[in-house]
Amino acid sequence: MSDNSSPRRDGAPTKLMLSRTLVLLIVCGVAAFIVLAAQLYRIQIIDHARYESAAIEQQVRETAIDSGRGAIYDRGGGILAMSATVDTIYLSPAEIKMYGEGPELIARGLSEILDVDYDRLIELAGDTRSWYKTVARKVEQELSDQVRRFKNEYDLKGVKIETDSKRYYPYGALASHVVGFVGFENRGLAGIELSQDSLLTGAAGRVVRAKNAYGTDMLYTKYEDYYDAEDGCSVVLTIDAGIQAFVEKHLAQAVADYGARGGAAAIAMDPNTGEILALASLGNFNLNDFQAVSPEKAAEIGAVSDPEQRQQMLAEAQQEQWHNKAVEDMYEPGSTFKPITMAMALEEGVVTRDSSFYCGGSFAVPGDSGEGRHCWRRQGHGMQTLTQCLQHSCNVALIQIAQRVGAEKFYEYIDAFGFREPTGIELSGEAGSLWWNSELFCDPYNQTQLAAASFGQTFNISPLQLVRAMSAVVNGGYVMQPYLVREVRDSAGNVVSRAEPKVLRQAVSERTSQTMREMLEAVVGDMSEGTGKNAYVAGYRIGGKTGTSTDTVREAATGEKEYIVSFIGVAPADDPKIVLLALIDNPDPSCGVAVSGGAMGAPTVGAMLADILPYMGIEPSYTDRERESIDRSVPSLTGLSLEQAKQALVRQNLGCRVIGEGDAVTAQIPAYGAVVAAKSEVLLFLGSEPSADLEEVPDLTDLPYDIARQRLGYLALFLSAENYISDTGALITRQSIPPGTLVEHGTVVRVAVYSNDEATNAQV
Amino acid sequence: MDYSNTRLDLRTEEPRVRRGSVDMPFLLLTLLLLTVGVVMVLSASFARAYYSASTNHSATYYFSRQLVFAAAGVGIMFVAARFPIGFYRRIALPLYAFACVMLFLVLVGGERANGARRWFKIAGVQFQPSEIAKLALILFDARMAWRYGEDMKRFRRGVLPFVAAAAVIIGLLVFEPHFSAAIIIILITASMMFAGGTRLHWFILGGGAVAALGVIVLTSGGYTSERINAWRDPFADTSDTGYQIVQSLYAIGSGGLTGLGLGNSRQKYLYLPEEHNDFIFSVVCEELGFIGAALILALFALLIGRGFWLAMHCRDRYAFLVCSGITSLLAFQVILNVAVVTNLIPCTGISLPLFSYGGTALLLQLGELGIVLSISRDIPEKRFFTERRQRRKREANA
Repeated sequence: MSDNSSPRRDGAPTKLMLSRTLVLLIVCGVAAFIVLAAQLYRIQIIDHARYESAAIEQQVRETAIDSGRGAIYDRGGGILAMSATVDTIYLSPAEIKMYGEGPELIARGLSEILDVDYDRLIELAGDTRSWYKTVARKVEQELSDQVRRFKNEYDLKGVKIETDSKRYYPYGALASHVVGFVGFENRGLAGIELSQDSLLTGAAGRVVRAKNAYGTDMLYTKYEDYYDAEDGCSVVLTIDAGIQAFVEKHLAQAVADYGARGGAAAIAMDPNTGEILALASLGNFNLNDFQAVSPEKAAEIGAVSDPEQRQQMLAEAQQEQWHNKAVEDMYEPGSTFKPITMAMALEEGVVTRDSSFYCGGSFAVPGDSGEGRHCWRRQGHGMQTLTQCLQHSCNVALIQIAQRVGAEKFYEYIDAFGFREPTGIELSGEAGSLWWNSELFCDPYNQTQLAAASFGQTFNISPLQLVRAMSAVVNGGYVMQPYLVREVRDSAGNVVSRAEPKVLRQAVSERTSQTMREMLEAVVGDMSEGTGKNAYVAGYRIGGKTGTSTDTVREAATGEKEYIVSFIGVAPADDPKIVLLALIDNPDPSCGVAVSGGAMGAPTVGAMLADILPYMGIEPSYTDRERESIDRSVPSLTGLSLEQAKQALVRQNLGCRVIGEGDAVTAQIPAYGAVVAAKSEVLLFLGSEPSADLEEVPDLTDLPYDIARQRLGYLALFLSAENYISDTGALITRQSIPPGTLVEHGTVVRVAVYSNDEATNAQV
Repeated sequence: MDYSNTRLDLRTEEPRVRRGSVDMPFLLLTLLLLTVGVVMVLSASFARAYYSASTNHSATYYFSRQLVFAAAGVGIMFVAARFPIGFYRRIALPLYAFACVMLFLVLVGGERANGARRWFKIAGVQFQPSEIAKLALILFDARMAWRYGEDMKRFRRGVLPFVAAAAVIIGLLVFEPHFSAAIIIILITASMMFAGGTRLHWFILGGGAVAALGVIVLTSGGYTSERINAWRDPFADTSDTGYQIVQSLYAIGSGGLTGLGLGNSRQKYLYLPEEHNDFIFSVVCEELGFIGAALILALFALLIGRGFWLAMHCRDRYAFLVCSGITSLLAFQVILNVAVVTNLIPCTGISLPLFSYGGTALLLQLGELGIVLSISRDIPEKRFFTERRQRRKREANA
């Protein structure tokens, strides 16, 4: 074969062509394939693990199996929160389309069972690209069974049911800010539900399934793996549902009576352990429907036409109702801080119970201009003992006491009482405090900060910090760690951990504490001079201190004076079992009651303690005077002779009026067991029948207690008091049955009588 | 060896000489790869077919169609093997003209998809004129090189007509646009000129020109440079530009040494796009592992090698050029496809011959291989019995 001799247009390929084809063969048939194989080797062998794990990550979907969420109990074992199984109903529009199921049939069926809008269901089913459209969450078993029957009847593949769990709060709104709530994924969003979320949740189980890119199961490839869920622990709170209920009841009453526009908060703590017995922030909300706002708010929002604005208003209203004032707010404590100043002075030995202080109505300290700062009583308190200083809540005396302590020491005590550190309570969002820095505070040429701080002004603390410090003042000086979680139990009920009371430090001595307890009791127990006398509960030794402060931040913002009135009570004063702070934010000055801690805060705490102390099993012990004036239970008199009946009534410090003639009592008004005011006159019928007439309840407000009792007596109606009546001439502030109501003879009208004098009305 | 007795005058095709049988290794390799390819279409496509409304949720939709086309394609291959090489030489010019007309018509009346007009739809069957253009250009270039012979060394014979023939097709392809086909056209032209005897320095010049053009296109931004970025770091944007290649790498990487087993690909469950089409080899890698993938690559290499071997044993220069051209086309498609799915080169839409789903493309590929088989019939050096039988016949005749 010769190249040169071959014709131009035909013949065999030339040598050049053959050699070039050999090159092509080597390049395209061998070399390129070696490169490709090498690349495959790199991807499949060397980087295999990397790509495989990345691929599996996208191919495998983990479905969490909810672990049973633990319950929340109060200290008595009452269930505050529990979980139950419910179902989530959803549509798979893609499958509805795929299997040609009628959206109309599905929509009609589901809208009937689940009360979901028909058009909305049609719309959901119309999004045929989707594989998951939620129709209803947290559907009760009963309803989901109906859905299941409907699904099976028509063999609907596009209707899906998923098991979920729902949180129930048997007490509804009780302690709503403490208990908190969970979101759709059963994750805690607030309160204990949030702070103890990991404990309550337990370890979620998993189902690992191979899924296609649309998120549904891969065909034929049945790759599944199960990991068991581990149920969450239950927590037992220090909260006592009973105490909490009393606190909330009276706090709500206070909000209503005094028109508190800023809400109200209360904290009850066991001063010896630091256990929080009750913690309330009003207004409460129903935990079972935590997104619903109060009806008034809802109506207000409903009136707005702009949907965006409505949405925003709703969100704001929800944030407001979820706000836990008792823990998340700072405030200026005002006079409730005075016992702290006194305790430090006593501890330092710069004052004794025998020290006396003069108040001329005003007092100037270095840094003050003019005549300095006024006492709340412009004409002054004159010479006072240390106890009187506290009873009067005298600012001038407190300034002098703080000056004796000195700014440096004062500042040290602030730290010792824990006012500059968060309490570490098991709730999120705890407020801290706001203080002058020590350099400014201790300036010897400007003692105005010290002067103001001595009576609780120009700094901000959280209510809980005050409760803790007050507990230390009365419990022997021990600053405790406040806590809400008493016990953690596993799902089988075994105790996993139990909280122990924790003493952080001792701020003052037992001796000082003893003195302080006595002085605090004098604030409440002294019916003439005590600013806190409205907190008195007959039969109990109660100590406490009033407080009235202005909200300086809001005042600066709005230019209007807004008050926070408060009272911190200690009971029993000789052996404190509870320290209870109630604060009422921005009460309405036109509500008829003086805006002061003594007129508003003290009665509120008093009413709470009147319920709480017997509930806690603390026996009352009455003084003779109290025994005379407290309400009486009417004995059973029917069948007795007149003489015997009269004797029985005298023993109960009750009088009588006799109607008819005869030997024996045939009827009595009021009936046996009714509790009425002492000295009330029981109607004794001797043979004659009581009339069945109805009487109109008169208006008793602003009448003296004695007069009111007599006036009701003429109508065969009776009086009983909500609180201890130290002065039978005191004016009635509130009655349980509105004037004009027609009632039967023998009906008991409950009234509240609170002291309304200079001491209780003082804004201290 | 003495070839004098087997010399054919193909110019006149007279006298007709009884042709030999087709090359068995080439035929068997083709059928083997085709069989594996059709099975892989079934495996790769059934998830997509099942979930897709356009296939009426029939899992075997793509497979059954591919099976029909494969059967028809094998028929076409045997028919193509029956025509003598002279036939292909004669239809080269008309076919080239036909291809150009079709490429023009598709610009006017083609189906629009993803902003490009690349195919006609005739009776439910898609048909890409660019596929015809590839074959037409091979036959046409081969005809020119055959005609010019030694003149190929000159610029006006060895370069100019080839560049012009390619330029017409590329010009039309750019309007579709269909860059991956244009790249194949350039490579075919280069290989035809290379095999045809064009002087090497023109390749250096041409390669430089193409490279310069490429740099300009790539640096001009837009769609193409996006692909370059996705190639350099596909994981930079796994949800958009890098999605295809990342999913492909996941599939290939998941395969490991032995693979997940036939039918067990997980990436085909709608993660991997074009899983029964351009990215079918990724599924092969995932299911059959490195061993299976390398084996299939080896089969392709053998097929290609056998194609070139056949070309080198052609007695006729035209047959040689056509055989070399078709084999080169096959090689380019396989290499570029695998290079794309393994991210060796930037992503571009090139299907894998005998594997990728696509009716008319498969018919044409088998037709092209049929031409090679036709050529192989005129090669006496085919091993074993073919050679022996012919020698026996010659001896009997003598």
